[in-house]
Amino acid sequence: MIGSRMAKARRDASGREGTPSRRRSRLVTLASRSIPYLGLAPALVTFLLLLGYPIVLVVQMSLQHIGLKELISGATTWVGTANFTRILGDPEFLAVTARTFAFMAVNVVLTIVLGTLVALLLHRIRRSVRLILSVAMILAWAMPALTGSVVFQWLFDSKLGVVNWAISSLGIFGSWLNHSWFETGFSTFAIITLLIVWQGIPFVAFSLFGGILAIPPELDETARVDGASERQIFWNITLPSLRPLLLMLAFLSVIWDFKVFTQVWTMRQGGPDGQTITLSIYAYITGLAQSQFGVAAAVSVVMVALLLIVLVPYIRLMLRTQEDV
Amino acid sequence: MSRGARGAVVNAIALVAATLFAFPVYWMVVTAFKPADQIQTYVPVFIPTPTLDNFVKAVSQPHFGDFLRNSILVAGTTLGLALLVGFLTAVTLARARIRGRKGFLLLVAIAQMAPFEALLIPFYLVMRDVGLYNQLPSLVIVYFIFTLPFTIWSLRGFISGIPIDLEEAAMVDGASRLGAFVRVTLPLLGPGLVATAIFCFITAWNEYFYAFVFMTDVQNYTLPVWLASFRTNLGTDWGATMAASTLFTLPVLVFFLAVQNRMVGGLTTGAVKG
Repeated sequence: MIGSRMAKARRDASGREGTPSRRRSRLVTLASRSIPYLGLAPALVTFLLLLGYPIVLVVQMSLQHIGLKELISGATTWVGTANFTRILGDPEFLAVTARTFAFMAVNVVLTIVLGTLVALLLHRIRRSVRLILSVAMILAWAMPALTGSVVFQWLFDSKLGVVNWAISSLGIFGSWLNHSWFETGFSTFAIITLLIVWQGIPFVAFSLFGGILAIPPELDETARVDGASERQIFWNITLPSLRPLLLMLAFLSVIWDFKVFTQVWTMRQGGPDGQTITLSIYAYITGLAQSQFGVAAAVSVVMVALLLIVLVPYIRLMLRTQEDV
Repeated sequence: MSRGARGAVVNAIALVAATLFAFPVYWMVVTAFKPADQIQTYVPVFIPTPTLDNFVKAVSQPHFGDFLRNSILVAGTTLGLALLVGFLTAVTLARARIRGRKGFLLLVAIAQMAPFEALLIPFYLVMRDVGLYNQLPSLVIVYFIFTLPFTIWSLRGFISGIPIDLEEAAMVDGASRLGAFVRVTLPLLGPGLVATAIFCFITAWNEYFYAFVFMTDVQNYTLPVWLASFRTNLGTDWGATMAASTLFTLPVLVFFLAVQNRMVGGLTTGAVKG
């Protein structure tokens, strides 16, 4: 504190000394004031040009007809909103969209609810057990999405998978040996969801555990003295205190799970029979596999538009929490 | 239920949960070390007689050296670029008086949330047009854009966390502004820089979607692209597949254990204050 006051005094003094010519000093201050902006320039160029241009381009492409022929010749044919009317009138696209929403909703709800439960668990267990659970969760969390997908296929392998053996040896559900998990879309989605939730819980649980620790313990104690039950404490104290954090985690999960590609694609490439095609996969197949780049761009634009519903409040929340830092 | 009994149940549930979280990772590693006859069996072997056969097989796949080199090259360059630009930006944001700071932060927030899965088509077209399609730099560019917002956000937080008073005190003692920053703030920033660098590296190392679409020649594959095609190429050689997965996961795991505390903080800073 004293140091800072002294430094300030020193700055003031030196500022008063060095002004032989007013114009020159104005030039100097102008230059020195603009130096900080130079520091922002590379990032600004990255965001506005390298990121901004593809964003503009995707909108532009969504209004054009671009097939392989146009891609090679470079000719542009504007088609107005034809790509949009086409996909919005396409029952397959609508089915894929509905499926993506359902898939995302299930993943988010499971991740948040189970993550909250694990956070509460972390709060109540013995220190040694907490360490064990934390390390186990870090293992799951650290697993790259791709290896997660490969490992889950091995776990759920129909012939030699350990899961089929485990269910069979429980003896309650009969024999599950040779049960194929990837035969129906629903079952395949179940495995993908399991994978995503398994990897998603740790981040949610650790964040919420941090949030729980930040709640002043006096609140709980006072409530307990007043005779509140554990359940009442959870609903009236813990949950309201965690609300901003929960909201943020829910937004993040929605954003991540809505556009997820790697886990869904690597599990069965959208199969069986296209039943696990979600929007990101649909855009990829339409664009890269079928060379309908205009239509694929339109799909991407619709995706972004749908995402904006959650993105806008999320970014507002994020900036609000950052203000006081 | 008595207090003690309830505590025991809660701890037991936690141990079951820990088993569920850890099991897939355990199974990956354990399969990787199994001899073939302990994999090709209906009754699973939980503690194998360890062998390195699967690792040898995975590593001796054609082009494995190329994939490893490509992955390290791409992730390393991404890390370097993101850290360089991110650090410059973060220092400016945290230490300089700037107009339009809020607007810039908004831009960073938007960039961080940019749905890259929806930008594949335009990025593909741009890379084709500038002749970078099927070239490693195309991945570096995309990953750099992808990691920069978080890098700025995280580094800014770390720098703001170091009181400027410290620098000013050093300046009173005769240090220049730059000297004060380099000698006082920079050493304190070490852990934050390392954590952020690791985040960039892991993001680029793990990325599959763009690498899968952009890299068409086998020798340009990164490890994830190879790993995804591994199963189909080797039939159902789960031993070698798990060995490759283990090798790929290992560095990520080590890094993660080192910095996980900071990653939780970095992503949700401020949200707990409520």
